[in-house]
Amino acid sequence: MIIRILLLVGLAATGWLIFLRRNRLPIHIMTVFGLIAAGAVAVVVPELTQRVAELVGVGRGADLVTYIAIVVVMFVLLHYYTKFVELHRQVTELTREIAILRTEVDRVAPPALQARDERVDQDAARGIARDDRV
Amino acid sequence: MPEPRGSTWVVIAAFNEGKVIRDVVAEVVRGGWSVVVVDDGSRDDSGACAREGGALVLRHVVNRGQGAALQTGVDYALRRGARWIVTFDADGQHVADDIPALVAALEDADVALGSRFLGKVEGAKQGRMALLRTATAVSNTISGMKLTDAHCGLRAFRRSAAPALRITQDRMAHASELLRKIKTSGLRVVEVPVTIRYTEHSMSKGQGGIQAVRILFDYFFRA
Repeated sequence: MIIRILLLVGLAATGWLIFLRRNRLPIHIMTVFGLIAAGAVAVVVPELTQRVAELVGVGRGADLVTYIAIVVVMFVLLHYYTKFVELHRQVTELTREIAILRTEVDRVAPPALQARDERVDQDAARGIARDDRV
Repeated sequence: MPEPRGSTWVVIAAFNEGKVIRDVVAEVVRGGWSVVVVDDGSRDDSGACAREGGALVLRHVVNRGQGAALQTGVDYALRRGARWIVTFDADGQHVADDIPALVAALEDADVALGSRFLGKVEGAKQGRMALLRTATAVSNTISGMKLTDAHCGLRAFRRSAAPALRITQDRMAHASELLRKIKTSGLRVVEVPVTIRYTEHSMSKGQGGIQAVRILFDYFFRA
């Protein structure tokens, strides 16, 4: 069946990408390869998922795989959302620290203040905000 | 107040307020207050204009939102030895003459919140007032406080109250966050009548009904 080939190619590609970017702990890599292997088994021997599905009270093997996948995806999403919020907090703290530090530096070295004024004015004249250049 | 006005720091967060910020700052500076403007990564010349108006200007190199900018200004004011801190909007809706009453209210309170509904509102449209009253009602329900105006940007607090009032909501939900922190920290709070002058400019920068949804999302789902 074509779908089997597509799924196996997808799994293989994912595994290859992870192999290329292997900078995590061996346990992480092994877990991911374990999941990919389990996926491949489910593709090649669907009867196996069917039997597990009946065991836990789900009608079809494919349904069981879908349910598990949804839970896993939600977990991953939440994980990255948490990281995203944390990252935002850190960026704010860094931005704040830079703003205060720069002002303190300018207070002890006034020529730098003038140079920055010119730079900011030039940026404003060209319609460029600093964040555009980063 | 026996203290000189210089030890009261007025914190203004400005994002693309180049049109009005110079006059807003100049009005506050004339009152003799120390003024710090946090230019929140504006795409216009807000920072330079604020400096021309006589403020000390800090610049966020990337836009982080009003809550973040206010906290930066508060941090800086504390470093400079501020005894009283006032937050003031950059869009010209507040009146510098209201500041003395707010600071005076700190004689026997930790936090003084401006209230346009106790004071005066100039130039507001009917719909805006309805939205603000609704927002105040929602806010009172959430925070468990009984305020007449929950979202006035003009506030004052003592130095000693600053740690308890630390803003972590980078964007607009910081107003609700502050109320929650006032409530949970048991700070003494008082409302002071203030005047709000709505102009076409301040209306264009104001928060509409759609933004209100986002503010609620931020409040409940962001750290």
